[in-house]
Amino acid sequence: MDISEKLSPIRKGLLEFVILKVVAGDKVYVADMLKLLGPTEFATQEGTLYPLLSKLRREELVDYEWQESEAGPPRKYYKLTPKGRTQLSTLNEYWKNLNKTLADLGN
Amino acid sequence: MQKVVTISLNGIAYQLEEPGYNQLRTYLERAESRLKDSPDRAEVMADLEQAVGEKCRAVLGQHKTVVNTSEVERIIDEMGPVESADEKEKAAEAAAASGATASGAGGSTQSDLPPPRKRLFQIREGAMWMGVCNGIAAYLNVDVTWVRIAFILLTIFSSGLWFVVYLVLMFVVPVAQTPEDRAAAFGMPFTTEELISRAKKNFEEFGQTHRWRREWRRQQRHFNRQFKHMNQQLRMATSQAQPVISQSARAIGGVFIPIIALLGAALAVAFVLSLFSLITQHSIFGWGLPHGIPLWVAIVALVTLYLMISTSLRMVRHGGHQAAGHHAGWGAFHGLLWIGFAALLFWVAYTFFPGVRELVDSLMWAANLTATTISETIV
Repeated sequence: MDISEKLSPIRKGLLEFVILKVVAGDKVYVADMLKLLGPTEFATQEGTLYPLLSKLRREELVDYEWQESEAGPPRKYYKLTPKGRTQLSTLNEYWKNLNKTLADLGN
Repeated sequence: MQKVVTISLNGIAYQLEEPGYNQLRTYLERAESRLKDSPDRAEVMADLEQAVGEKCRAVLGQHKTVVNTSEVERIIDEMGPVESADEKEKAAEAAAASGATASGAGGSTQSDLPPPRKRLFQIREGAMWMGVCNGIAAYLNVDVTWVRIAFILLTIFSSGLWFVVYLVLMFVVPVAQTPEDRAAAFGMPFTTEELISRAKKNFEEFGQTHRWRREWRRQQRHFNRQFKHMNQQLRMATSQAQPVISQSARAIGGVFIPIIALLGAALAVAFVLSLFSLITQHSIFGWGLPHGIPLWVAIVALVTLYLMISTSLRMVRHGGHQAAGHHAGWGAFHGLLWIGFAALLFWVAYTFFPGVRELVDSLMWAANLTATTISETIV
């Protein structure tokens, strides 16, 4: 099996975590999220991102507000909810532990 | 010059070149069917439409009012395949449930899956009757006319029994209702454009087909008459031959009847399989057609050969039965023998020919689906 094939499920599993991190700062528009993630390992597309964001909203982890745009119809800007913030800090904690475990193993 | 279609995406009008419009429509149709179980379907669809609209707007300007096909293609490419986030979760759960075996396979999500598996459907568009032949033609990727001819010939040679097969297929094989189903029936990426051009073609051919059908019926009646006549003559010939058959011939008849029955069964199965192989691969089990001989000649030759051999076998058997003077129980045993041997040959075909296996699996899947639907309807 190709190494990138092995890594792809890891990236996909982490995408939700990554999105929570992206919306943790200022309110973001989907096109900007894609631009931000584009050069990283987590580069993704609308076809994946929109369904994921809708699911996160259903789980009350993120929310959006409409904002007028200078060109075209109003846009959805996403932001983290308090519940999302709690989950993000849990995930951050978990990630740190995971890193530590990985670093300590085999030493 | 290109025809332009005006569409509305989230309330804003855009003009797209027609082929581009067809591609976009297919993309959105497919996205919608992917999301059909998601509670967020309407919202995600609106989001996608808005994203497409924005991308369209980016390529338009003061002196460019139409989005051309290659731009639509690029936009669809940028959007990427739509995968339901819930589906992904389900896949992850399934992977977790299957435990250690999930090492690699469990991680594969929708976008990694191969294109939809080919499945057998009834296709009503362009069908003569219920679209069973049409569906089989799509499945085998051959012209529907060949499948129809095969069905008619099989019906004639089986004295109408094959028609029951059609009826069974009619009730068991699901009808292709959505564009996704039709795509699965052809086993290839499906575009609305293809469907439209197919529909146009079928409409143009409709008048022609009608005439062709009348002619075919006439031929068929003629053939039936001849066939009956031939049978009668055959019977007369064997009954005349009977007094000549001696006592020793009777004994030999008893031994040979089962062998002849087996030969007949083997021949029938071999005939169906070689017809199948001839139509799908243009060769009989790897034995290619001689150069310059068209497919229809080969089919006619095959059918004639089968008819000649099977008729002579039947004649011999007929004589043998009378010679051996067997009672009714023998007939039942003979029938069982036939069925057993046919089953054996079927098993061999199923095991060694992937094409046959796929077709059978597909039928089983269709039968399952029908059973589920029926039980759901009752409950």
